[in-house]
Amino acid sequence: MEEIKPFEFKQCVSILKATGRKAGNLREMRDVIATVSDESIFHHTYQYFLKGHILEYTNDFAHWAGESLEERALGERLSGIDPYGFRNIGELRNELLRVIDEYLEKFPEPREAMHGDEFYFNQTITLTFPVGIWVRNLAEFLIAVKYIDAGSIYYHFYEARVRLGEGVDDFSAWIQNVVLNKELADRIRSIDPFMHSIDGIREHIVEAVEEEVKKSMEIIRQ
Amino acid sequence: MINQYSGVSPKGDLVLLQKLGEKLKKKSFLHINSTRSGGGVAEILQRMVPILNELGIDSRWEVIEGDDKFYDITKKIHNAIQGNPENITKEMWTHHYEVNRTNAGRLNLEANAVLIHDPQPAPLIKFRKKGKWIWRCHIDVSNPVKEVCDYLMRYCSKYHAAVFSVARFARAMSIDEFIIPPSIDPLSEKNRELSLEEIHETAARLKIPLDRPALLQVSRFDRFKDPVGVIEAYKIVKKYNDCILVLAGSPATDDPEGEEVLNEVKEYAAGDPDIHILLLPPFSDKDINALQRMSSVILQKSLKEGFGLTVSEAMWKGKPVIGGAVGGIPLQIVHSVTGFLVHSVEGAAFRIRQFLNNPEMAKRMGERGREYVRNNFLITRQTRDYLSVWYSMENKGKSVLEL
Repeated sequence: MEEIKPFEFKQCVSILKATGRKAGNLREMRDVIATVSDESIFHHTYQYFLKGHILEYTNDFAHWAGESLEERALGERLSGIDPYGFRNIGELRNELLRVIDEYLEKFPEPREAMHGDEFYFNQTITLTFPVGIWVRNLAEFLIAVKYIDAGSIYYHFYEARVRLGEGVDDFSAWIQNVVLNKELADRIRSIDPFMHSIDGIREHIVEAVEEEVKKSMEIIRQ
Repeated sequence: MINQYSGVSPKGDLVLLQKLGEKLKKKSFLHINSTRSGGGVAEILQRMVPILNELGIDSRWEVIEGDDKFYDITKKIHNAIQGNPENITKEMWTHHYEVNRTNAGRLNLEANAVLIHDPQPAPLIKFRKKGKWIWRCHIDVSNPVKEVCDYLMRYCSKYHAAVFSVARFARAMSIDEFIIPPSIDPLSEKNRELSLEEIHETAARLKIPLDRPALLQVSRFDRFKDPVGVIEAYKIVKKYNDCILVLAGSPATDDPEGEEVLNEVKEYAAGDPDIHILLLPPFSDKDINALQRMSSVILQKSLKEGFGLTVSEAMWKGKPVIGGAVGGIPLQIVHSVTGFLVHSVEGAAFRIRQFLNNPEMAKRMGERGREYVRNNFLITRQTRDYLSVWYSMENKGKSVLEL
């Protein structure tokens, strides 16, 4: 029997680093977004989901505009930006600026954030490491997905999209290419990363894989 | 020792600690602060240094020594850094430096990485022999007395990196600045699991009735902790729900305002047998633990706060928490997810009533709070972060590191 390539679970952990730059109002935020490092833009957009729970927004800029500046419409518009729809950080940065500029044209005097509630631009250093779990089939995969840390789901489901591109995550890639189950891979790929917290993503993956495992067990019984 | 955290801390943190331990094996790591006991820094170092040694990192913890004058000066520096007006004279700075120079002669400062905690030992950087030196600032430097901060920064900017607890505390410096929040130790006397007998013993000794829901705030009697505001909120709640209020704190011997505030609190609470004001001796960790575990709702209604780790301590016990939206409290309480943030007495009263009337919701938020603390505010995470910072400094220039 041909040896199946196991799926190795990895995880990432990010260490926060200050850039030393901050914004107290929308114009200042615009100016810093225009010049801050790619790593900082990456952190405040892609890594938003690493926080583990979804609130009203999909990135830190939208969150700050909506909550601290109370510019709700801008918060909504910035939340509509899908970072996975861009080929690089430069393009994402331009889109953020375009949305903010358009807003500033209509509302040229946005309010100041309260003292102490300014936006602090950070970036991260990310450490990736194997967690010591390998799985060789869907049943093993199911157990592992239930118990791994949220940081591991983030690495394979969100971070993978940046690594692999085109909306592909590590889980569905393995299920399609190694387990050879395209239908299940498509189902996992169709889980919208924006609409769930990491635990929500975990639940959806578990549900889909569990159904598949049950189905295969019924076939064996027959 | 690290095995004790298995099943308590997130698995990934423990795996990463082992991996970083392998990378930094046999290297030396030196921590220096200004007190062996008392205060959050000493509390964490007592536990962290044995963990580091067990990981194979040759770790030491040294404490600087000084005369009374030195500690008077460093207290003034500490206050000024937190924004209280203080004047530090040239002569005082000289004494600060001289005490550090004497300590530098006494202590072995040779290590591959040196973590200097807070302003007291900051001048030791002048006596660096080798290795990476990191200044760890545990206090709020977001609004300091400028002259004092500028003088201190002459030392701090000589370090290879600085670490702050909250992004807002970081300053525009010319060195790398990392953000590492503080943490609690889930196995310490203050946070370990307690048996029902232990909880009942504390309740009986402190004369806290267990027949009705208890609201609790653990804090010094300090205006910034707003104990009077907590009583006002309790009085509003009491019109709707029968409950008791416990305000527990240590007598503030070094704070002349403490007694004044305590008297105000006692006066405001007078005549209500359901308000329990407890003056606990220092190191009443087990009693605080038991008080938190017997409470239905825990408040930290601060008006100004550093990080406010009492919030994480309460959340770790699965309790629903209500906190003032100040300092580090919003980093711990994600509003409506792991607790409630409030901005007024009325807001606090409303949220207490919500919790008392919706035990299911209180339980759910308490559970989420506990998980949030597990993932973000345990000592293993802080240890992991220190080692990650050190490892990243050894691999400078890379934003992704594969282990």
